[in-house]
Amino acid sequence: MNIIVYIKQTFDTEAKIVLDGSGKIDANGVNLIINPYDEFAIEEGIRLKEKLGGDVTVVSMGGARAQEAIRTALAMGVDKAVLVSDPALENADEWTNAEVLAKAVSQLPYDIILAGRIAIDDGASQIGVRLAEILNVPSISSILKLDIDGTQATATREIDGGTEVIEVSLPAVLTAQKGLNEPRYPSVAGIMKAKKKPLKTITLADLGMSAGDIAPKMNVDKYSLPVARQAGRVIPGEAAQAAQELARLLREEAKVL
Amino acid sequence: MAKGIFIIVEQRDLQIRKVSLELLSQGRKIADETGETLVAVVLGNGIEGLAQTLAAAGADKVILIDDAKLADYTTGAYTSVLNKLIRKEEPQAVLMGNTAIGKDLTPRLAHRLGVGLASDCTGMEKDEKSFLTFKRPIYAGKAFEYLSSNVRPILATIRPNTFKAEDPDASRQAEIVKEAADIDAADLRAILKEVAIAASKRPDLTEANIIVSGGRGMKGPENYVILEELADVIGAAVGASRAAVDSGWKEHKFQVGQTGKTVAPTLYIACGISGAIQHLAGMGSSKFIVCINKDPEANIFNVADYGIVGDLFEVVPLLTQEFKKLVNE
Amino acid sequence: MATATREVYWNIEGEHWLYLLFIFALVIFGYGVYKRVILWKLGQPENRWKDVGQGIKDVISYGLFHKRILKDPYPGLMHFGIFVGFVFLAFATAIITLQADFGLNFFHGWLYIFIKLTSNLFGLIALFAILVAAYRRYIQRPDRLDNKLDDAITLSLLFIILVTGFLIQGVRIATIPDPWAAWAFVGQWMAIPLKAMLNEAQLLSLHVFLWWFHLVLAMTFIAYFSHSKLFHILLGLTNQFLRKRGPIGIPEPIDFEDESLETFGKSQLREFSWKALFNTDACIRCGRCQDNCPAYLSGKHLSPKRIIQDMKVLMEETGAAVAEAKELVGATQAADHEAAAASEVEEWTGRALIGEVIPEEDLWACTTCRSCEQQCPVFVEHVDKTIDMRRNLVLMETRFPGEAQLAFKNMENNGNPWGIGWSTRADYLTALGVKTFEEDPQAEYLYWPGCSGAFDARNQKVSSALVKLLQAAGVHFAILGNEEKCCGDSARKLGNEYLFFSLASENIEVMKGHGVKKIITQCPHCYNLLKNEYPQLGGDFEVIHHTVFLLDLVKSGKLKLSQSDGKSITYHDSCYLGRYNEIYGQPRELLKAVGLEIKEMAHTGEKSFCCGAGGGRMWLEEDEGQRINEMRTDEAIVLKTDYVGTACPFCLTMIADGIAAREVGEELKALDIAQILEMAL
Repeated sequence: MNIIVYIKQTFDTEAKIVLDGSGKIDANGVNLIINPYDEFAIEEGIRLKEKLGGDVTVVSMGGARAQEAIRTALAMGVDKAVLVSDPALENADEWTNAEVLAKAVSQLPYDIILAGRIAIDDGASQIGVRLAEILNVPSISSILKLDIDGTQATATREIDGGTEVIEVSLPAVLTAQKGLNEPRYPSVAGIMKAKKKPLKTITLADLGMSAGDIAPKMNVDKYSLPVARQAGRVIPGEAAQAAQELARLLREEAKVL
Repeated sequence: MAKGIFIIVEQRDLQIRKVSLELLSQGRKIADETGETLVAVVLGNGIEGLAQTLAAAGADKVILIDDAKLADYTTGAYTSVLNKLIRKEEPQAVLMGNTAIGKDLTPRLAHRLGVGLASDCTGMEKDEKSFLTFKRPIYAGKAFEYLSSNVRPILATIRPNTFKAEDPDASRQAEIVKEAADIDAADLRAILKEVAIAASKRPDLTEANIIVSGGRGMKGPENYVILEELADVIGAAVGASRAAVDSGWKEHKFQVGQTGKTVAPTLYIACGISGAIQHLAGMGSSKFIVCINKDPEANIFNVADYGIVGDLFEVVPLLTQEFKKLVNE
Repeated sequence: MATATREVYWNIEGEHWLYLLFIFALVIFGYGVYKRVILWKLGQPENRWKDVGQGIKDVISYGLFHKRILKDPYPGLMHFGIFVGFVFLAFATAIITLQADFGLNFFHGWLYIFIKLTSNLFGLIALFAILVAAYRRYIQRPDRLDNKLDDAITLSLLFIILVTGFLIQGVRIATIPDPWAAWAFVGQWMAIPLKAMLNEAQLLSLHVFLWWFHLVLAMTFIAYFSHSKLFHILLGLTNQFLRKRGPIGIPEPIDFEDESLETFGKSQLREFSWKALFNTDACIRCGRCQDNCPAYLSGKHLSPKRIIQDMKVLMEETGAAVAEAKELVGATQAADHEAAAASEVEEWTGRALIGEVIPEEDLWACTTCRSCEQQCPVFVEHVDKTIDMRRNLVLMETRFPGEAQLAFKNMENNGNPWGIGWSTRADYLTALGVKTFEEDPQAEYLYWPGCSGAFDARNQKVSSALVKLLQAAGVHFAILGNEEKCCGDSARKLGNEYLFFSLASENIEVMKGHGVKKIITQCPHCYNLLKNEYPQLGGDFEVIHHTVFLLDLVKSGKLKLSQSDGKSITYHDSCYLGRYNEIYGQPRELLKAVGLEIKEMAHTGEKSFCCGAGGGRMWLEEDEGQRINEMRTDEAIVLKTDYVGTACPFCLTMIADGIAAREVGEELKALDIAQILEMAL
């Protein structure tokens, strides 16, 4: 089985977000990790290979540092990797990324494409489904369970307030939700082997695309940081009073209810 | 010339989801400001009766696409239908709630339409140049980006509870149009085998937006009932600290902390939890932390945004009442 | 007067048979030794023959003077009784052999009297001690002893040898006049009833019978020696001679740059060194390790004694399989033998060391407190094997408790096991006004708060107390701030040597970059690692634990403290400060210096009962049995002191949790030494 996993390297969940001089998100000194949801996809891909045979290819887009994330995936058990790296992708939107990804994926054989359901940096949760649209294959997003039988994939998917079971024919794109599996910890033997596994870096030109082909549809007008978190306060008063005030604050100040 | 604002309305079992009504309210405001037509689009089977509700919610026009194949949501069928409709009607903007269906449908639809998509927006304003601009959280809300587009239609999903659903105006009338469901056979590729709606509306701990958690201060398993009541009013999940799990009051699957689950909800309410680092390691990334504890020295107060020093057995039921009032507003 | 002596082979004929029997016994003895040596050689090479001088000193203090054995007085004295008896009787036998076989004529006069007296006195004591041993083993039945046939045979053999020896003496004294019989007082006592019951002819026959019987038993002793627990006499002493030198508990490093390494950690018996296998034979099954193991005592399955003994059984199984493989191959060439043995290893089809012989949960239950190793009279090394096997599970199999994975990832991504943003590490301390080395490169000391001191609210209080004390004493110090990463102790002890390697290498580079020479730290785990283990990776710094440093400040007058108002305290010795680094007195001196009344818990000092967080267990769930930390807290609660003092952030957390679990927070407070001193500023 030819398994492709799309991964993205993101800021660590604990990273402090600051804006640089030009008002953009400053990536200096930030610790980078594999998008946690993509780890479920990697793990699922490797499990499918272990069960059904074949190989797993990781595809990613990013700069030189993305190689760290890819090596980790290789250490977990992925067989090879393709990295699309091009300065033109720095100002990409989901449309652009999906088009480029689709081009890269089309150069590889695939029976199933896995990805995380959402990236923790942009929180957009679009690329997996967009990819499926371009490739003209079915998509199932937010899966909690996956079974493959020949060319049929049956997935349990999370919906609001419950789950549903959907069956599609492969090839298809499936995006992973937390709970699909427990991603394995890479073994040192795996880490050593990963250094030798093939990692191909390609540019847009290699894909036969130019910057003009992939102009983004959405514009980012600006970024902002939230109002600095206020120091915690103790709500005074008797229980009834305090409860009332808390409810009010949660609705009006915190806007969470 | 693109015209009209489309709201893709979500219904289940012929109940309209609250977020759609929120969008209609907000859409109504923008339509009034810009002179655009507000159109509610509903897909389903046997949905005629919804038209009037949608009119009362603010729609100028209601498009009903009623077909047996649309009874349950499937990505392919809905994408196919909406793609054709939107290409035909050419609205300026198409909005939908960022629900499970919204997240699944809109990226596919956006790409088929050849447009961008602003997803999970927490702010939307009209704009001179680009008609609408959107504000959305990135990095789990540690920053925001402001998006606009020159491409039409503008597609966006809005986070539930961002806007307020105004009271319906039963006197409102809307133009009701029935469209046929134009579904490409090629899009019917997924077979929906079963739908399981959880009996308990309580969400799963790991991905819950709001969590109410109890620790050593709960004093016994029977007392978790008060937390569950609070949780159910606001649609929260229930969690527990290690001390509570060790004492056998809650099963391990409810444990939040270093050796339990790591959660990052928008709101975490810690009741009778001291806030030792092992627990914080599991919930410290929560957006807002509220604590109720009778010990003012408890470490949890150092990380909480709002804290109440008091007896949780007194405070929690009162809080439940207050939340009930909020929800019913 | 006539010279005191006796005729050596009186009443005995055919004594030359003795030599035949002796040779026969020696051959069986030798074969026994050979069989065991073959088993030890299944292991990998390791050079332990260093520091011969110290080795001899160790054999004298731990073997001859029973240094550890006597720490448990009841069995200690009992064993000492048998030992001393054995020593003096062996001495006597040696003298007689030299006299009889080598013609050295000195078995007379004062030497003779001395031998008579000591043989009788210590022989009698030994006899009594053997009875006590039997009583303890078979009637009292302490939990830590298991009984095998070998135990019964050995005790009986020794007993009967001694009894027959005395009887022979008695019969001789009953038969022929012995002016010095008074010195052989046991024999003299026995002679009385013997003389009364038997006539001379009967006595003479009895003497002959007993003499040969005693001889046969003695030869049996020699032959049986290397096939039984009697071997401990040689193996125990050898193990004491070969004990690890230097700071205890330092795992062997792994060179990850070595591309030829294919396996990491150990999963097969043969991967261990010959010394590790030797340990399993040196182990005398005394069970002191088990008796002091916090995991075992709290109801976990883990028993250090069982691990060593089960490895011994596996060693024997491996040896048998290898021997069989050699036979099957029918090879006569040495090379073929080696190949057969080697292939037996590659496809070891016997019981798996990890999983079948030692359950995985046993490996994770260990807190690396090393109480087992501290109590072991023959210096068996239990913990290193556990860490080696953990390494295999983590680095090769990636099969380990799920909670550890989170701790590992957090250390990888943010340099601390809780996963709190690395860029906030310095926040608390800089808010106290402490400078980083970037800001103050001239600082004399690096203050290393560790992960707890930086992030854990409970331990931040200790950091602030220590900072105040250091400032009050005018110490010039700075921190690494956000450049500091977890020292790597939990990673290393959990078996993740790779993560440890990366954390330690980075820390060392940063410290060297700042020219750090001296480090003060409040965490014994950081202390132990920085001081004893970082040198393996090129980090050589002078590391001082905060209690030692504070005591120096107090003694030199730089830190002035007032007296407490009559409060009492019990001090909990942290494993990594106490057993690992022998720092027991300094914290107590500090407590005395502020006038606190110190009471000691049941397990104290070298026998301190672990708080349960060591060995990376701080990050793991405890599912079985009782909570170790609650057991330890109970020991403190019973003393009814005002405080329980610690010098370690893990201990502080565990004991404070224990106090909360027992709901005695009003009566008992857990405090670090620094906090106590701060109150006395």
